[in-house]
Amino acid sequence: MTVVDDILAEKDFEKIRKETETNYREYLNPFALRMFKNAGLDVIEGRREGACVWDISGEKYIDCVTGAGIFNAGRHNREITDALKKALDVYDMGGWISIIRERGLLAKKLAQITPGNLKYSIFCCGGGEAVEVAIKLARGHTGKTEIICMENGYHGVTGFALPATGREVYKKPFAPLTPGYIHVPFNDLDAVKSAITKDTAAVLLEPVQGEGGIRPADDSYLAGLRKLCTENEILLIFDEVQTGFGRTGKMFCAEHSGVTPDIMVLAKSMSGGLYPISCAVFTEEISDFLYSHPFIIINSFGGTSLACLTALATIEYIEKNNLPERAVQMGKRFMEGLLALKKNFPELVVDVRGKGLMLGIEFPEDSIGPRMACLLKKNGVISIYTFNNPKIIRIMPSLVITEEEVDFVIDAFDKSLKEIRAQEAGRNMKGAGK
Amino acid sequence: MATSDEIMEALADFKEQCNGNKRLRRMQRDWTKVLHYAAVDTGDKFTMTVREGEILSNEKGAAGTPDVIIEGESETLCNMFWGDINPTQMYLKGEIKVKGTQEDIMRIDAITAIIWPEV
Amino acid sequence: MTASAEDIKKQALADFSKYVNPQKARVLKNAGLDIIEGKREGACVWDITGKKYIDCITSAGSFNVGRRNPEIVAVLKKALDEYDLGVFLLCSKQKADLAKKLAGITPGDLQYVMFGVGGGEANDFAIKLARGFTMKTEIISTLKAYHGHTGFSLAAIGRDAYKKPFYPMVPGFKLVPFNDLKAAEETMTGDTAAIILEPVQGEGGIHPATDAYLQGLRKLCDEREILMIFDEIQTGFGRTGKMFACEHSGVVPDIMTVAKSLGGNLYPISATIYREELNDFLVAHPFIHLSTFGGSDLGCIVGMAVIDYLVKNKVPEHAAAMGERFQKGFDVLLKKYPDLLLEVRRKGLMMGLQYTNESIGPRMSYQLAQNGVMAIYTGNEPSVMRLMPVLVIQPDEVDFVIDALEKSMAAIMKQGGIEKY
Repeated sequence: MTVVDDILAEKDFEKIRKETETNYREYLNPFALRMFKNAGLDVIEGRREGACVWDISGEKYIDCVTGAGIFNAGRHNREITDALKKALDVYDMGGWISIIRERGLLAKKLAQITPGNLKYSIFCCGGGEAVEVAIKLARGHTGKTEIICMENGYHGVTGFALPATGREVYKKPFAPLTPGYIHVPFNDLDAVKSAITKDTAAVLLEPVQGEGGIRPADDSYLAGLRKLCTENEILLIFDEVQTGFGRTGKMFCAEHSGVTPDIMVLAKSMSGGLYPISCAVFTEEISDFLYSHPFIIINSFGGTSLACLTALATIEYIEKNNLPERAVQMGKRFMEGLLALKKNFPELVVDVRGKGLMLGIEFPEDSIGPRMACLLKKNGVISIYTFNNPKIIRIMPSLVITEEEVDFVIDAFDKSLKEIRAQEAGRNMKGAGK
Repeated sequence: MATSDEIMEALADFKEQCNGNKRLRRMQRDWTKVLHYAAVDTGDKFTMTVREGEILSNEKGAAGTPDVIIEGESETLCNMFWGDINPTQMYLKGEIKVKGTQEDIMRIDAITAIIWPEV
Repeated sequence: MTASAEDIKKQALADFSKYVNPQKARVLKNAGLDIIEGKREGACVWDITGKKYIDCITSAGSFNVGRRNPEIVAVLKKALDEYDLGVFLLCSKQKADLAKKLAGITPGDLQYVMFGVGGGEANDFAIKLARGFTMKTEIISTLKAYHGHTGFSLAAIGRDAYKKPFYPMVPGFKLVPFNDLKAAEETMTGDTAAIILEPVQGEGGIHPATDAYLQGLRKLCDEREILMIFDEIQTGFGRTGKMFACEHSGVVPDIMTVAKSLGGNLYPISATIYREELNDFLVAHPFIHLSTFGGSDLGCIVGMAVIDYLVKNKVPEHAAAMGERFQKGFDVLLKKYPDLLLEVRRKGLMMGLQYTNESIGPRMSYQLAQNGVMAIYTGNEPSVMRLMPVLVIQPDEVDFVIDALEKSMAAIMKQGGIEKY
């Protein structure tokens, strides 16, 4: 009997729920559990497949959270799972000092599929870690220190990434943080222009701000940034952690504008939601820094044999099934539905926006985000508001989502909005009656 | 065996190659060191001064306090500056001796890797 | 269309140079460590061309349960029939189970767990937690310490070369000599939030902390309301002959970080485990620290399987015994090569050979590779060779390593260049 057998043997769902909740309270984070419940996120995941997840009790949901874009290839994708299982017959992580063949193969593949002259890769485990590598490369390569980043940007919570995150609540208790980060408003070229000094090493941004409330950068803004950076010998870094691997309708979001950054940060869906891996992909020129410092950025778990094989299988799956194109099609269908909602609920839906299957729906006030998430859960959809802006519910389903499932989600939104409307009407009546 | 003048000639060529390589200069800009070379068979010594990645001078004799001391047969040293051998392989096999930090030794290897990638 | 192993190796080296890190490939090739791992089993790894090596690197202690341990592989494969990573924003039974298990096996009143993927991330959170909870800012760390490459951990590293190109660092870090209680005491101020250290410095050259030092620190920290963080990333999960190295001294830290072997050499996972009182900070800020891949369903299942394996097979005890066997061999080498091997520092199977100078570490790596052993010098102290084989190493494999050391040392003696500088 292995530990998995033990886990799978237990079929009493109430018992599992109780035990899990107790363990959260005693060993993880008691208050988070309460928050989960309040936010309609108290699902304990059992079966997972395609765009769906089942609570251990058997309740089915369409997953529109997907860990902010981990599951582009679908939940528990069988083909990629089989590839990883096959890899386990031969490989383990591999030693970090060894030349890992799979790592070379994946790096080569990434050089091929990323735009422009992006070529070299450094692998890590999580997105934040890869952002750290990008910032370090920028400082190490340019010999300059300042990083210009965006208000409401999100780049992770470790030491070099955290100061780049554009929201005070994540940072304040941990001050003083790494110095040298300057925040400017997003989509404002002049703001960047006036923030540049001779000590500016890099400009860092997400081509679509995710946690900041699903805000796409304008093509002209990105083109302007590229020009500014080139002129001033500043590196342009795109954080494509949430936007990469087909999410926005192209393999990488940068392709929409035709702007190639000097460093691109990738994570999340890179390995099919099955194995932690992330990377910073950069130009040959920047790789010179690795000649003078070949062992300065090391990582025991970054780019293991198993991770790289899983990532290769994932990229193959995404390409074979043309998931970026699917994101375009399904995104279009979604957008039509969302626009109809905006028309039907003008007092509740302020804006709908996004790119491909990275969508956001904005409400007039903060409280509606969490309320909607609870109602959506009741109506069979798991969703969450964006961290930096609770007014906005993020819709980021698996790219393998079907037309029926898109319609189901839109329908769930329709039902949930109707309930909010009824609640508001009830409250107003009460107010009027007083 | 190589004469003192032959080694100086090789050093001059090495200097030209290094200083003329933009990529290398940028890469090594945080490297300021004094290196001593000692030919164990002839007893000749040489001093190389590097500032921010640029080789400022090569001189006969051991001057100043070295950060790195490299010892080998005169012929081996000569071949190293001409780019005919891989210095790290020689070092690991004990054919040249290097006294200094591991980091500086890797920097020297990086220089040769950039100038003579095929060696 | 089957390429020969040699061709695959050539291509792999070329790809690695062209797309990953050219200089790393070159350095490893020069050192005779351009191994493309094929088969892996127990203490051993085979280059795809068939040459067998005993792995004494093990990614600095990531492979305690052995290379590609079949029991853990079976667990992960079975888990893959049911699970994916899971969504980090939801409640996960697997995460809850592993948290409980970690609380059970860690010493004293360590209870709450924050999961991450890598060790650096775990240390970053430990330092953030210390600042957030105490509302103080200064962090004391030790010279030659190694804690990881993410920002907070990097600032705590006791070696400038890792940091300098990336200045400025997170402010508020003070470095003190290791095993020097007085230095730590003199550095503590009213604004000191925590002291972070490894119970055995790994990259620093395998330096075990003395029991008296740790006990003295504990007392000082208690008196001054300073948190004590033990980084057990390399020392944890049986490496030093106990499940955790701090058990040797009986000192319980306020925060402990673990990673490496928790993932069984199959799946990345790390954890920060801390006392109940500290959790108040997370109650006030439940979503202030997030990790998409940290504590995934699959990672937690592997973690549980690893802990079960270590306990069931009494692996820490085995590590202690194999460490003793190594020591007998080292004692002979110390007598035979006193001009080359100055000292051996060891706790369980965390072993460091102190050579006379920095050049000997890399030269010994080269020789050992020729003799069928993979070993490298420690990152912050190249005059020290680290030997950290898998804990399930067998007696005949220990003898093989000792024999390879003997042959390699004899070769170095013949070459010369062993004097101290």
